[in-house]
Amino acid sequence: MKNVYVLSAAMSKYGKSPLSARELALEASRKAIEKAGITPSDVQGGFVANAFSLSEKQGHLGPIVMSGLGIPDVPASTIESACSSGASAIREAWINILAGIYDCMLVVGVERVSQLDTITATTYFSFGSDYVFEGACGASFPGLYGSIARAHMTKYGTREEELASVAVKNHDNALKNPNAHLHKKITIDDVMKSPVVASPLKLYDACPFSDGAAAAIICSEEFLKRLNGGKPEGVIKILASGRAGGTGALHQRPDLTTLKAAVLAGREAFKMASLTPKDIDFAEVHDCFTIAELVALEDLGFFPRGEAAKATLEGRTTLKGEIPINPSGGLKAKGHPVGATGVGQVVEVYEQLNHKAGERQVSDARIALTHNVGATGGSCGVHIFSSFD
Amino acid sequence: MSEAATQISPSKNLTIKEFNEDIRQGKIEGYTCENCGHKQIDINEFCSSCQSPKLRKLEFSSEGKVVTYTIQLVAPEQFINEVPYAWVIVELDEGPRITGWIPFISKSSELPVGQRVRFKKSYLPGIVFEKI
Repeated sequence: MKNVYVLSAAMSKYGKSPLSARELALEASRKAIEKAGITPSDVQGGFVANAFSLSEKQGHLGPIVMSGLGIPDVPASTIESACSSGASAIREAWINILAGIYDCMLVVGVERVSQLDTITATTYFSFGSDYVFEGACGASFPGLYGSIARAHMTKYGTREEELASVAVKNHDNALKNPNAHLHKKITIDDVMKSPVVASPLKLYDACPFSDGAAAAIICSEEFLKRLNGGKPEGVIKILASGRAGGTGALHQRPDLTTLKAAVLAGREAFKMASLTPKDIDFAEVHDCFTIAELVALEDLGFFPRGEAAKATLEGRTTLKGEIPINPSGGLKAKGHPVGATGVGQVVEVYEQLNHKAGERQVSDARIALTHNVGATGGSCGVHIFSSFD
Repeated sequence: MSEAATQISPSKNLTIKEFNEDIRQGKIEGYTCENCGHKQIDINEFCSSCQSPKLRKLEFSSEGKVVTYTIQLVAPEQFINEVPYAWVIVELDEGPRITGWIPFISKSSELPVGQRVRFKKSYLPGIVFEKI
């Protein structure tokens, strides 16, 4: 298989933004283009990962973003796969480069939801469920993951304190990330005492509603050769891309303690890279809720079934642990601007593999994995990256 | 391509409108596959188990047990006046699972996993269950 590279990756700060989705997307795209040392005219095609731009009365973001970059003739379209839109867009760019259609593509993920009040945002997010059976029967997004959490607690004896330890770790990591949405140290007790949203999940078990954008320039080996003698600064390699689907509705699944799409996508990626979980130096996983990180660690094979909770409470997934998980702060504390999230994970990988992650740098990071889930596992993308050398 | 393969027949499967109207009439409808016997409550053109197009509408019994659930304290628009309530996944006695909600549940001690429940005809939105 041909080599495909991430030439650069950059993001806006995540949080509450006065800017619209198009402006956030332009900011992240400009930063990625500048960091890559290319000009907009080098970009031959683009994908915009986004789920809720219609809430700002704007569809068709592709041409809007390309026009704002001064390249209106370059084709771009929106990729929507709920919360895994970002990984899906990265994968589609990877496929386009592999196929030889393009040599240089822009992927930009973006979301803006802070203009919506909490009830309206909760309602919009419930549209990502199988609405006939879930949203229309009273399930909110936290509710769907709450039912997964209860299934995990029932089957494995997972405790609420263990769920809370995921939030505490990810908040700690986000304190070291200037682009993170939440900069607040919390304790297990804070999580346990926070208001219940959808039991057993509480406010601090949940990621925030974030605005933000993240962008990456994806390119071929041929394109790389034209830049700085074939080894431009910062470039990292995409070793593998895996993606799989799952039922939209939870009630169609025999086991609610695992997301089959993540198992399959992980398996595909590990096989393609000829690697195992033991080879991964750190991972950015989809922790939209604390339970989601534990399920991810078990689905990807970092820990045996039912053991991720104890491992997390024991500190084995902290920055200094045996397998650092979500050094960026994860969706939980770095934030979750839906369409941007999967691309934002690649930004963290890019910074870590270039050893430019500052205080949250994972020592000797060379191989990294990203795991990005759509809704409750109707889709999942897993990518594995390595440093250039 | 054979002649048979080019014939396109109109769908005879359950529509969302029929499903919702049946719920209002107190009936849970889904499908059974005439090829493999799989039963599911869903909107399908092909069987989820064997991919056969030979699906037949089937009414299910109204009783089953709670597989897992959440107690919603922050709800989507349609349900803001109903909190707290339990959103449940129920395994019906014939095997297939369905989702729904149980009004007035505020504590997990009120709803152990495995609790027997019954579908209830209701004017309320969604699919309402009650404890047996």
